[in-house]
Amino acid sequence: MRTLRSTVASVGLLLALSAPKLSAHHAFASEFDAKKPVKFKGTVTKMLWVNPHAWIYVDVKKPDGSVEEWMIEAGTPNTLLRRGFTKESLQPGTEISVDGYQSKDGSRRANGRDLTLPDGRTLFLGSSGTGAPDEPAKK
Amino acid sequence: MRSPFSRAMTLVAIAAAIVVLCLSVLPTAGQQRLASGQFSPYRAPRFFDGHPDLNGVWQAFVTANIDLEDHEAQAGPHPELLGAYGAWPAGQTVIEGGEIPYQPWALEKKKQNAERRMMVDVSEDKSWHDLGDPELKCYMPGVPRATYMPFPFQIVQGSSDYLLIAYEFTSATRTIRMNWKDTAPTDSWMGWSRGRWDGDTLVVDVTGQRPETWFDRAGNFHSDALHVIERYTPASPYHLMYEATIEDPKVFTRPWKISFPLYRRMERNVQLLEFKCVPFTEELLYGKFRRPS
Amino acid sequence: MRHRFLTAIATAAALSALSLPVLARQAPAAAAKRPPAPKPWTATRTPWGDPDLQGVWNDATSTPLQRPSDRAGKDVLTDDEAARFEEELAFGLTRDRRDGGSEVDVNRAYNEHWMDARRLKITADRRTSLIVDPPDGRLPPLVPLSAERQKARAAGAAANARFIAGMPYSPEEMSLPVRCIIRTDSPPYLPTIYNNNFQIYQSPGYVVIAPEMIHSARIIPLDGRPHLGKKLRQWLGDTRGHWDGNSLVIETTNFRTDNGVVYQGANPEAYRITERFTRVAADTINYEFTISDPTTWTKPWTAVIPWTKVDPGEQMYEYACHEDNFDIVHLLSGARIREKNGEGGR
Repeated sequence: MRTLRSTVASVGLLLALSAPKLSAHHAFASEFDAKKPVKFKGTVTKMLWVNPHAWIYVDVKKPDGSVEEWMIEAGTPNTLLRRGFTKESLQPGTEISVDGYQSKDGSRRANGRDLTLPDGRTLFLGSSGTGAPDEPAKK
Repeated sequence: MRSPFSRAMTLVAIAAAIVVLCLSVLPTAGQQRLASGQFSPYRAPRFFDGHPDLNGVWQAFVTANIDLEDHEAQAGPHPELLGAYGAWPAGQTVIEGGEIPYQPWALEKKKQNAERRMMVDVSEDKSWHDLGDPELKCYMPGVPRATYMPFPFQIVQGSSDYLLIAYEFTSATRTIRMNWKDTAPTDSWMGWSRGRWDGDTLVVDVTGQRPETWFDRAGNFHSDALHVIERYTPASPYHLMYEATIEDPKVFTRPWKISFPLYRRMERNVQLLEFKCVPFTEELLYGKFRRPS
Repeated sequence: MRHRFLTAIATAAALSALSLPVLARQAPAAAAKRPPAPKPWTATRTPWGDPDLQGVWNDATSTPLQRPSDRAGKDVLTDDEAARFEEELAFGLTRDRRDGGSEVDVNRAYNEHWMDARRLKITADRRTSLIVDPPDGRLPPLVPLSAERQKARAAGAAANARFIAGMPYSPEEMSLPVRCIIRTDSPPYLPTIYNNNFQIYQSPGYVVIAPEMIHSARIIPLDGRPHLGKKLRQWLGDTRGHWDGNSLVIETTNFRTDNGVVYQGANPEAYRITERFTRVAADTINYEFTISDPTTWTKPWTAVIPWTKVDPGEQMYEYACHEDNFDIVHLLSGARIREKNGEGGR
């Protein structure tokens, strides 16, 4: 009976042998620090629907009442567009929780490892309901 | 016996008839060039779907990329280094009516753009696009600027619901979705193009363009409300007439229109080559962040 | 320890290669474990008579390029085996895992739904590798590198290490994808984590392949014209095509010699790549490529990757890259800040 550990090990070997052409496209570890995890709630002020990475700007209220602006790096918006989301899908004023890793240079940037809404739903998970992938495009 | 005069007139008539016959057979020789430089009506050969065939490698030869409006020859950047290499030629306006109808605030902004067209500062994400001509930075030019960049482009017209226009400048591409209702889910540098046929004219409606593109190096600009309607009309086997109507109620007082011919590139085995200009801009954009040696 | 391990793999591969029939382009055997033969499909044609490849196609899959050692000897799986293979691969690839410690977790980047969901599925024909030749499903043995190439490799590895540490010296020493020069549009086309889409356009005398990342159009003349002259080298090379029955066969030459232009590790001077596109069903193109470089691999190697038609329901969207490539500045300016703070000593 194969244990999980040996499964993971063999999958790890398998990944090592895949030799993808773009191995150094974006090692997130190059920019974000595994030793600096961050977790906070904030209010979205805007989202840049750009490639190669979307960016979500979040205002974080500190205990002393001051506000810090964080820039959260996310994935390619094209994947979201194909799942029916549009640039209107994340409105300023939305509260989100960010769980990620801070930029190595100490600036207020983080990769958005896990992004959730106050009710616990993952941000952008599920289809928006308009133009989901298996619906034919409205011509 | 016919007089020499009447014999001569008969010969003249025959010669004239031969000339008229020849002119009516040769496709281009028979076309009149009208005073404005336009062509008399031309019916292009049909493609499989009954529309004209726009396939080919095309290029504009106006200098609109320097300035859509009238412009004199000028020294260009760093004449002390570049001399005549870097100097820019004169050109006549491609705008019907001559000038862009800016709102007063926007005319000031255009002048500011022109003054700062070669200033670049990408040190802060939020002000990344505030300065400098996007062409200088090798950013995709948007529509209509891509049409009159001094580089060829290729129209690929097939039997699907999509046409492709591929531009040599920075390998920019745009898909023209034929008879498509949906608009863009987000903005893009080359915009969202929906096409339809109006007789023999391909009409392309372009929305959803990034507001950061410029129309030319003279700082002419637009907002996120830009709406462009292009018309591509075959004018001869070797020419398309290109027209673009530009609307942007945030910036201009009314819509305005540009037009100029597109020329078929006729060189043997002509093809788009690469102009991937990113490596030409890395020192300009990122030089100050290099590790000092 | 690592040496013995790799030797064991090589031995197993060699032994399995002796017993396996060559998989590529042979009719499946009658054995129960073979996937069913594809239903015969009549190629549709464009109005000018070329096989019709037009549309938007997606090549995402979890099937690895090379056969994993624990599947050695099995080129195609049974239904049960395939289900388990797919499960294992999906478990390894999913970004929704938070285990493994922060060093592993940071590289998963973000939630799974930002990625292409098709990349968690194995190919429908249940192969254990995309490589079909050599028959062991693995890259052929390497040819020992010249001293010059070893030196170049070492320099590249050093630059890559600096990048991984977040301390790059310059834009030019970072990879072509990070610089937004080429990404998946560089042949051979291999599946990646997202935007695995290609739009094919055709017109009389041309096929054009437009990959999503990075926007570019690979315009392929079919009229038999010669390649560009040798002095005209391009990042994506120069491609010419012709029809071989229902297959589009394309040859690409004139690659630039910059690091990263040709397949990882290959020698641009000796590198040859041939690609074939065959529509085998209304919704499937088989994409096959063969790479040969006798100065790098002892034999040519071939892989087959199925492409699935996804339009009109899914569209390809613009992938601008350089225009908003903030990370390149973050990496460079961040490195300079950290150097000032005493990090990354020379």
